[in-house]
Amino acid sequence: MDSAIRELRFALRDPVITLALIVGATLSTFTVFSGLKEVSAERAQIERVQQMVDNDRAYALEDQSDAGGAAYYAFHFTYDPPSALTFAARGVRDDLPWKHRIRMLALEGQIYETDAGNPELSRIGKLDFAFVVAFLLPLLLILLLHDLKASEARNNRWTFLSAVSGNGSRVLQGRALLRAGLLFVCVMAPFFIAATISAASAKSVFIVLIVVAVNLAFWTWLSLFITARVEVGPTAAALLLGVWFVLSVALPVSGKLIVEASAPAPKGGELLLTQREAVNDAWDLPREATMTPFYERHPEWADAEPVSEGFDWYWYYAFQQVGDQTVAATSEELHETVATRDRAMGFIALISPPLMVDRTLASTAQTDIASFQAYDRCVRDFHATLRDFHYEMLFGDAEYSAEVMEGLPLFVPCAL
Amino acid sequence: MSTILTIAADEWRFWMRSKLGAAAAFLAFILVATSLVATMNEIKNERTDRESLQVKAEGIFRDQPDRHPHRMVHYGHYVFRTPTPLAALDPGVDPYTGTVIFLEGHRQNSATFSPSYDGARAGPFALLTPALAYQLLIPLVLVVVGFGAISREREAGTDRQLVTSGVSPVTIWAGKTTALAGIGALLLIPLLIGVVFSGAVPIASLAFFIGYALYLLVWVLTISAASAWCKRPSTALLVLLSVWIGLSVLAPRLVASAANVAIPTASQIETDMDVLVSLRELGDGHNANDPAFSRLRANLLEQYDVETVDDLPINFRGMVAMSSEADLTEVLNEYAEKRMAEQAAQAKFVRALSIASPFIALQSTSMSAAGSDVQTHHRFLREAETARFDFVQGLNKVHIEKLSYTDDINRNNSEEASRKARISAENWRILNDFTFEPDPAKERIARILPTLTVLLAWAIGMGCIGLIGVRRLPEVDNG
Repeated sequence: MDSAIRELRFALRDPVITLALIVGATLSTFTVFSGLKEVSAERAQIERVQQMVDNDRAYALEDQSDAGGAAYYAFHFTYDPPSALTFAARGVRDDLPWKHRIRMLALEGQIYETDAGNPELSRIGKLDFAFVVAFLLPLLLILLLHDLKASEARNNRWTFLSAVSGNGSRVLQGRALLRAGLLFVCVMAPFFIAATISAASAKSVFIVLIVVAVNLAFWTWLSLFITARVEVGPTAAALLLGVWFVLSVALPVSGKLIVEASAPAPKGGELLLTQREAVNDAWDLPREATMTPFYERHPEWADAEPVSEGFDWYWYYAFQQVGDQTVAATSEELHETVATRDRAMGFIALISPPLMVDRTLASTAQTDIASFQAYDRCVRDFHATLRDFHYEMLFGDAEYSAEVMEGLPLFVPCAL
Repeated sequence: MSTILTIAADEWRFWMRSKLGAAAAFLAFILVATSLVATMNEIKNERTDRESLQVKAEGIFRDQPDRHPHRMVHYGHYVFRTPTPLAALDPGVDPYTGTVIFLEGHRQNSATFSPSYDGARAGPFALLTPALAYQLLIPLVLVVVGFGAISREREAGTDRQLVTSGVSPVTIWAGKTTALAGIGALLLIPLLIGVVFSGAVPIASLAFFIGYALYLLVWVLTISAASAWCKRPSTALLVLLSVWIGLSVLAPRLVASAANVAIPTASQIETDMDVLVSLRELGDGHNANDPAFSRLRANLLEQYDVETVDDLPINFRGMVAMSSEADLTEVLNEYAEKRMAEQAAQAKFVRALSIASPFIALQSTSMSAAGSDVQTHHRFLREAETARFDFVQGLNKVHIEKLSYTDDINRNNSEEASRKARISAENWRILNDFTFEPDPAKERIARILPTLTVLLAWAIGMGCIGLIGVRRLPEVDNG
């Protein structure tokens, strides 16, 4: 115990250690609180836009006299609300869409719309807690630990230390653990405060805690392993930096190249082109060209077709849906490829601890690809219920009325 | 002079012998070469993709059958921004903006499909373009190679031997700096090859290359300065690593956050809602009976001196479509310009703060020189909008002149009537060929001069700090 206190005093008196700890604490504080701010801005935005879209829909529906017009002018706001841990790991939230304004037209034309911010700022990248933990913490630890043995040796204390303690390496290991522990506390304390403010679940907080601890343990072990073999401090640091570079940059980047080459994705641009063509061509095609594939999908309406040669809403929505049907296979393939690529990157992460940390935090915060795809499904399901609701009036016997429209399905975020 | 070269050559010999420096430099070389090949390949694929899609899209448009002209307004068309030659080295904002826009009536679309949608996620350093390799990683390599250049001599006391044998501290500093600059120059070779083979305008290529050369010089001088000031190599490494994290990893992200806070932008959905509200007042261009067009109707009836719109020699529905498209475009442009102005202001904010970090200065320089910055993208958006407006109004003009009003209003009565309300496919040739040219090299260079100056200032500043630091050399070995 005495020796632990003595070591603590040593550590806190060393300007390099103090500096590294301050940097760690500052980064952590800055990222979690700017993360919290961003999340509350998102929540406010969701509320604001929800209100705008609802008002707009009420206004648009006032003038409508049939289900076709109602479906055409009524927009719905769909969104993926931030989780209680989004503040710590933004994941794909800044480059894949998490909010849409959709209506009952062909969905494939609407669902890829990404509300991206300034591309020059996106390019620079975001600074979140996950980035600090996964990529910067190892660097801070390297700064703290590369010199452990070398500084003792340089000051001619190594032999002395070994002699008095019986086992010099044991002392250095203890010292390394202490430094890593201090760093852990400095980084986690702001996180705990933020997690409490944001009411994150105990389980998710626990996962973050374990991830950060294991991550620190790995880098501490690696630093000890290398410094035990390389006596010269700077050389050890350079080696550790090399390992950091390979694990953080080289492996993920080459993994990405391999994964993308082995799981080719259908071209999203062509999907949109095909879908638009299908919808636009329908205007000039004989009605059967639209209605036949539509009734194949919806045999329940097959007997219901009212006869008409002119414009009919039911026909209009039928070809919107057939437009979606035309690219359904490609769209599903795209969805599958994104999932496959993500799983494959999960395997790459097995050999890249920083990537693993990044992914685990994103998945705990529900900002990973899987959560994005769950939201995507949620929007598709909602769109399907919109169709079902209006098809009753367009194809079935239900009459359009204000009362019926009170049953209009409204979007509710899906629980993950 | 010859002493400087001797010291430099000696340092090189040390690096070769110590393996570490040689290994780091070798790894860096491989890294840069790989990223060069990978990125250039990707851009080449993208370019062929885009070109084939452009040809395909134009072909499909022209091959459309006889139709009602307004169908073609909704059918729409694509324009593509083919990347500039230097975008192979620095794709800039391309991966975030997308480079294809779908043009149609009544709407301004953003780029269609974000290239990052289906990409495998590989962490924050995943988009390892040659630009990023030079901006972020090469400095780290230089740090690993050079942190001990002077501090090593200080720790070992060999600097005193040098000084007593008549070599001035400044000469030592110059020699060590030259040695490190040599490594920097060596590492620039792959970039030089990339630039030469990119096929870009020579003057733009030169400016681009000078940016990177200056940037690496800043790092070389920073390293030799830290190495001159610190008594021990380990302290020098610590300082340099902190500087690297601070300048290249933290500063840009902090500046980006600050830009977002200082100049907030509305989300696309909110803007769309505002646009919608503004547009409501204009009337629906599909509905010629909308009261919003009664004035247009009255004017036309007076102009042609007729009683009803049926008697007009032109198609009234076409007139409504044309006039409402013009009004609507005015509103859309107002919001689009506001959005672009906000983004440009954010970019300007970042550039202004580039004084705080050579990394930011080089990123801006590089993107602007390569023609892959946000300004260039905005020009593309504006040109695409002009193309959209021209093609829509071209079709509306055909609608007014070549389709009779009677046929037009009866179009939904029967299939026969619908066929009568179509016009010949020959009219689909109104499409102008769209080509997007990067800004002229002179303009791009004018844009990068401020950030190049920032880099130069950093180089001079670091040089001075190094020179001051090295003057303390002989007093060390007792410290």
